[in-house]
Amino acid sequence: MTGLEAISHYNGWAQAVAGILIVMAGLSGLSFAISQLHKVAALLEGRNKTAKTGETVLVPEVETISEPPAHDLEKTIGAYEELVRRLGTPFQLSELYRLCQEQGFTHPYMSIKALQEAGVLKPLGDGVFTWQA
Amino acid sequence: MDLLFQFLTNTGYYLGDWRNWTMIVVGCFFVYLAISKEYEPLLLLPIGFGVLVGNVPFFKGFGLGIYENNSVLHYLYFGVVSGVYPSIIFLGLGAMTDFSSLLARPKLMLLGAAAQAGIFFTLISALALGFLPKEAASVAIIGGADGPTSIFLTAKLAPHLIGPVAIAAYSYMALIPIIQPPIMRLLTSREERLIRMSEPREVSRVELMIFPIVGLILCCFLAPASIPLLGTFFFGNILKVSGVVDRLAKTASSAIIDTATIFVGFCVGASTQGDVFLTPKSVGIFALGAVAFSIATAAGVLFAKLMNVVLKEKINPLLGAAGVSAVPGSAREVHLMGLKEDPANYLLMHAMACNSSGVIGSAIAAGVLWSFNVR
Repeated sequence: MTGLEAISHYNGWAQAVAGILIVMAGLSGLSFAISQLHKVAALLEGRNKTAKTGETVLVPEVETISEPPAHDLEKTIGAYEELVRRLGTPFQLSELYRLCQEQGFTHPYMSIKALQEAGVLKPLGDGVFTWQA
Repeated sequence: MDLLFQFLTNTGYYLGDWRNWTMIVVGCFFVYLAISKEYEPLLLLPIGFGVLVGNVPFFKGFGLGIYENNSVLHYLYFGVVSGVYPSIIFLGLGAMTDFSSLLARPKLMLLGAAAQAGIFFTLISALALGFLPKEAASVAIIGGADGPTSIFLTAKLAPHLIGPVAIAAYSYMALIPIIQPPIMRLLTSREERLIRMSEPREVSRVELMIFPIVGLILCCFLAPASIPLLGTFFFGNILKVSGVVDRLAKTASSAIIDTATIFVGFCVGASTQGDVFLTPKSVGIFALGAVAFSIATAAGVLFAKLMNVVLKEKINPLLGAAGVSAVPGSAREVHLMGLKEDPANYLLMHAMACNSSGVIGSAIAAGVLWSFNVR
């Protein structure tokens, strides 16, 4: 059996429509759930902070690194070397990116690309990189 | 003299026919692509060499072939037909996946869902071409562009098609740089390709830890048949993000997934014995696989364009192409095409979000197809 007859006989139309709707519903639900996760996270983190009120927490001081100029490779290497030192090698590029954001860097993509092109950041695969100054 | 004659008639040179030699050429081509062109070498090298091993002609009944009981290859192949290797690969994938960009921009998850349209379009096409429902479902899942998922579903529904389905799935994954860019270019304007994505928000560790649990509950309750894939996937991910079992996470994302990848590739390759592989059905599977993959890419891109109609903050429609779950090949292609239009437009992180969503989407689709065809 072939053609439209086969599709109808084996309930193909219903399977296809139901299938795509289920996948859509599943991922839409998950998408909605994760869009609310930050609220749950904030709630949990808030509770932790409340529970710890009164305790003296020593937060180690971390030196802030100023963003190097985009065109100055030498200064870029200097600044990023410090960030990489904090991460330890090898490291996930996404972690380095996160650290850049924490430092308030405005153009980490450009700097990371320049470092890759200069061979300072060496990819090991799967988003893992190593530093070779 | 008789002994010598008997020996000679038992050699591969005497027993082989054109089908074995054809497959050996195919195997050599895969090895060439893997080593020389570096097309998905982690997959194509084990598969290619497996094809060579599987197509050495032998005297049937010796307990040598992959389809012969008690042969070594048959035992290794058990991991494929039972769905063990795909589950283990998903464990490693979970331990390697960083969901932070997806959590920062949840709407990108819809692109991973839209790209699964290729699967269900191909399901209809395969039925129309005369494939039986279980076979059609196995062929359709190629559209998810996820090798382990394709193997898993085919092992459950149509084990006799594992060879062609797996080879088609992995071949198209390797051919992403050839298949996807023309479709992306055709369906998007230059202005659309130039759209820049805003910086994603920072995602807290707590969110990353809650996600695998929420994901498991939502997806596996909806499609319980996807438990063998998504169960291990989210388990691998919580190993990674929990931060308390780094040793386990590292092992899952390196030694364990590598071991499973080696065996799945090699066994799938070895299962392509010329006499069982070279059939008109295999040709149909390859043709439908290409259609499935192309439609999945197109569906993702078109859905992204559709989302832009209603979204205030536009998304780059190229990202839709990364909704197929070929990790990280399709994300890389999207990124490269974005860079071609604007060298400062970095789409990789956003594309990886769509890719991760595609992995979840294709696993749900596999679960759905399995449950539809369980009888």
